[in-house]
Amino acid sequence: MSSVAQQETKKQVADIGEKYKYGFVTDIEMDMAPRGLSEDTVRFISAKKGEPEWMLEWRLGAFRRWLTMKEPKWARVHYPDIDYQNAYYYAAPKNTPLKQSLDEVDPKLLETYKKLGIPLHEQMALAGVAVDAVFDSVSVATTFKGKLNEAGVIFCPISEAIRDYPELVQKYLGSVVPVTDNFFATLNAAVFSDGTFVYVPKGVRCPMELSTYFRINASETGQFERTIIIADEGSYVSYLEGCTAPKRDENQLHAAVVELVALDNAEIKYSTVQNWYPGDENGLGGIFNFVTKRGDCRGVKSKISWTQVETGAALTWKYPSCILRGEGSVGEFYSIAIANNYQQADTGTKMIHLGANTKSRIISKGISAGKAQNTYRGLVSVYGKAKNARNYTQCDSLLIGGECGAHTVPYIESRNPTARIEHEATTSKIAEDQLFYCLARGIPQDEAVSLIVNGFCREVLQQLPMEFAVEAQKLVGISLEGSVG
Amino acid sequence: MTLAVARRAEATALFAAQGVPTRRVEDWKYSDLKSALGEAGIGAQVAQWHVTDLPAGVEQFDLSQANPPGWVIDNFARGTGNVMSAASLALSVGGVALRVPKGAAIADLLKLDFTGPGHVRALLVLEAGASLTLVEGVGLSEFRNVGFEIALGEGAALDHVRVSPADADAVLVEEAHVRLAAGAQYRAHFASFGSRLSRMELEIALEGAKAQAHLSGVSVLDGKRHSDVTTRMIHAVEDTLSTQLFKHVAGGNAKAVYQGKVTVAKGANGSDSNQSAKALLLGEAAEADLKPELEIFADDVKCAHGAAVGDLDADSLFYLRARGIPEAEARGLLLHAFLEDAVAQIANMDQRELVRTELLTALKVIA
Repeated sequence: MSSVAQQETKKQVADIGEKYKYGFVTDIEMDMAPRGLSEDTVRFISAKKGEPEWMLEWRLGAFRRWLTMKEPKWARVHYPDIDYQNAYYYAAPKNTPLKQSLDEVDPKLLETYKKLGIPLHEQMALAGVAVDAVFDSVSVATTFKGKLNEAGVIFCPISEAIRDYPELVQKYLGSVVPVTDNFFATLNAAVFSDGTFVYVPKGVRCPMELSTYFRINASETGQFERTIIIADEGSYVSYLEGCTAPKRDENQLHAAVVELVALDNAEIKYSTVQNWYPGDENGLGGIFNFVTKRGDCRGVKSKISWTQVETGAALTWKYPSCILRGEGSVGEFYSIAIANNYQQADTGTKMIHLGANTKSRIISKGISAGKAQNTYRGLVSVYGKAKNARNYTQCDSLLIGGECGAHTVPYIESRNPTARIEHEATTSKIAEDQLFYCLARGIPQDEAVSLIVNGFCREVLQQLPMEFAVEAQKLVGISLEGSVG
Repeated sequence: MTLAVARRAEATALFAAQGVPTRRVEDWKYSDLKSALGEAGIGAQVAQWHVTDLPAGVEQFDLSQANPPGWVIDNFARGTGNVMSAASLALSVGGVALRVPKGAAIADLLKLDFTGPGHVRALLVLEAGASLTLVEGVGLSEFRNVGFEIALGEGAALDHVRVSPADADAVLVEEAHVRLAAGAQYRAHFASFGSRLSRMELEIALEGAKAQAHLSGVSVLDGKRHSDVTTRMIHAVEDTLSTQLFKHVAGGNAKAVYQGKVTVAKGANGSDSNQSAKALLLGEAAEADLKPELEIFADDVKCAHGAAVGDLDADSLFYLRARGIPEAEARGLLLHAFLEDAVAQIANMDQRELVRTELLTALKVIA
């Protein structure tokens, strides 16, 4: 936990902390909670968010539970012990001073933006440059809000939802990922400060792709995000999380929770592109990403589809899952996980078939390069009542260089004779002849690798919404730059 | 035998630290040994072994005797990382050691049976260029734990056939630890008809270039029977080859388990590994749990695995019935066909026929 970014944050926080001399419990004007985690920290965050009593109680319950839990160690990720008392759990984002022009931004970052083909005004927004009339985020957001209001879709920060739609939040919060679920989810329940709430009413097809990028006040990714998406009967929503641009987040520990609920005949498509700071070439620094994502196909013929492109973070611990409860419900998981240098990724999915005629499909593409370790860990479980359940799983690993590792740990459990489960996995390397072919035709090495790897992950890239897909393709190439030769 | 004493002490410590595995131990997730054993626990009895007509050219030593020969000392108790293997080493003073000397090709079958309750150890050494077919018999008992070690010298070849009979009450556990030198070949077939808990655990270390292991197995389970095959294949050096093919049929409330982990060590380029596990569920409450795992630290490798669980193909059944074959018979044919490619892996024709006959008998009951 000794990245430069981390050091800077500590310094920044310490500086501000010194200005504050009044005891933080009573004064909620302060922008950050002191170091450490206690009931007071939880109360502070709740007070800061102006939350009702029930919400505070829920958080405190989670915190007390968390104190009794042990950090899970079964994943194939190695990291120094995290000192939970030595971290900051709440800091309002407004402290970050806006830069006056792109000249103040790290040129390395700008170069990457350029390679990704991100438009200039978006670059400014991403890098935290004060935006001018060229890109009026407020007006974009206003037109956009108007459209959603018309459709009756609720799309707001979770703190707003707690205030404005308490009955909806109370009904669904923790109903998919219970407070007691796992160490990191419980920690999130106690201290989450940011996140998104989406409710799509009956029969509504959400008029646009929802993206955190366009949500006001959401330009800073929270350290402990909590997202809830509810698709009521017969509705449809597609949600994009993250972006392809590198995120220089200064918090090293991230623990997000995402809960999806799909009622009868509803469909949720959830796409993630994660490109957080992976640490440097020597494995120093980088984000530790512990995420709990779960979708509950509660209604008949409901569908939840996860698509993820994971290229960043020093350490990824993430298993977006589907509980296929409703009869005829469908779960999908499409994943690309790229680990380079000293990155470690342990990611996969769980498909829990509870209802009859449920179907699931898993396509996972893992790419390891440098000294990275990449693990697919998945569970397909068919319960006794899941008549005619179907699953198809394909997980392929690609190794670049002899110093990295690619691992596959699938669990397949069937308790119904009419269920059919198929699983296939392969491991291969970038074929010399493919590389040679490209080189012989004048394609530079990095481009050739990018081309071959993009071919390898094509099935997953196709699942991404258009605007994401183009950038994600480039991102795949950039993540692997310099890994061959 | 001071080295053996030291290894025994290590094993005792390991077992004391870990105890009898429960469901909470990841490797034993699908086979709860502790609850299967109940109050009785694993005890400290010594189980029996028996060799029928020791073939000429095979040397035998009783491990309960003093002054073991050099080849026993060199090879005994080499691997104690496994908790049940450690238990058998810690708790058993008995067992058998067998040796096939350099270059000897033994034509007769070596028949080794384990009987009675308790723990027992076995060691089989094939020196360079030797070859043998081992037929392992599993006698029924409320609980038995066999710790088997096999060392294959350069170019040695062993065919191993093990049949575990059906019994609703027995708890049968065996761990085999097989080491292969360059060019050695290990071919093994495990047929299991299930017991209250039946676990065959194999750790195979391909330690020399061009070493190869071919595992196959079938299980036909009914009632409340259970069968677990757990393998760990280690490609330690380059140009090693392994194949695995396991087929399970489970009816009633039976539970079929396959856990296979293939590890390719760093630098073990040119490793080729294939793993396939399939299960057919015939009973409403039957269960199949498959976990084909890959752990790869080298890039120039060919590794693939496949797993499938389902029921009989409706189209094939329809095809046969449309040709006037009664349903029961048609199902029997399809089940036999499903299992046959694993049975066909048994090299010894007589043994293959024996296993096939037993399978067909068991299928009649279940189908």
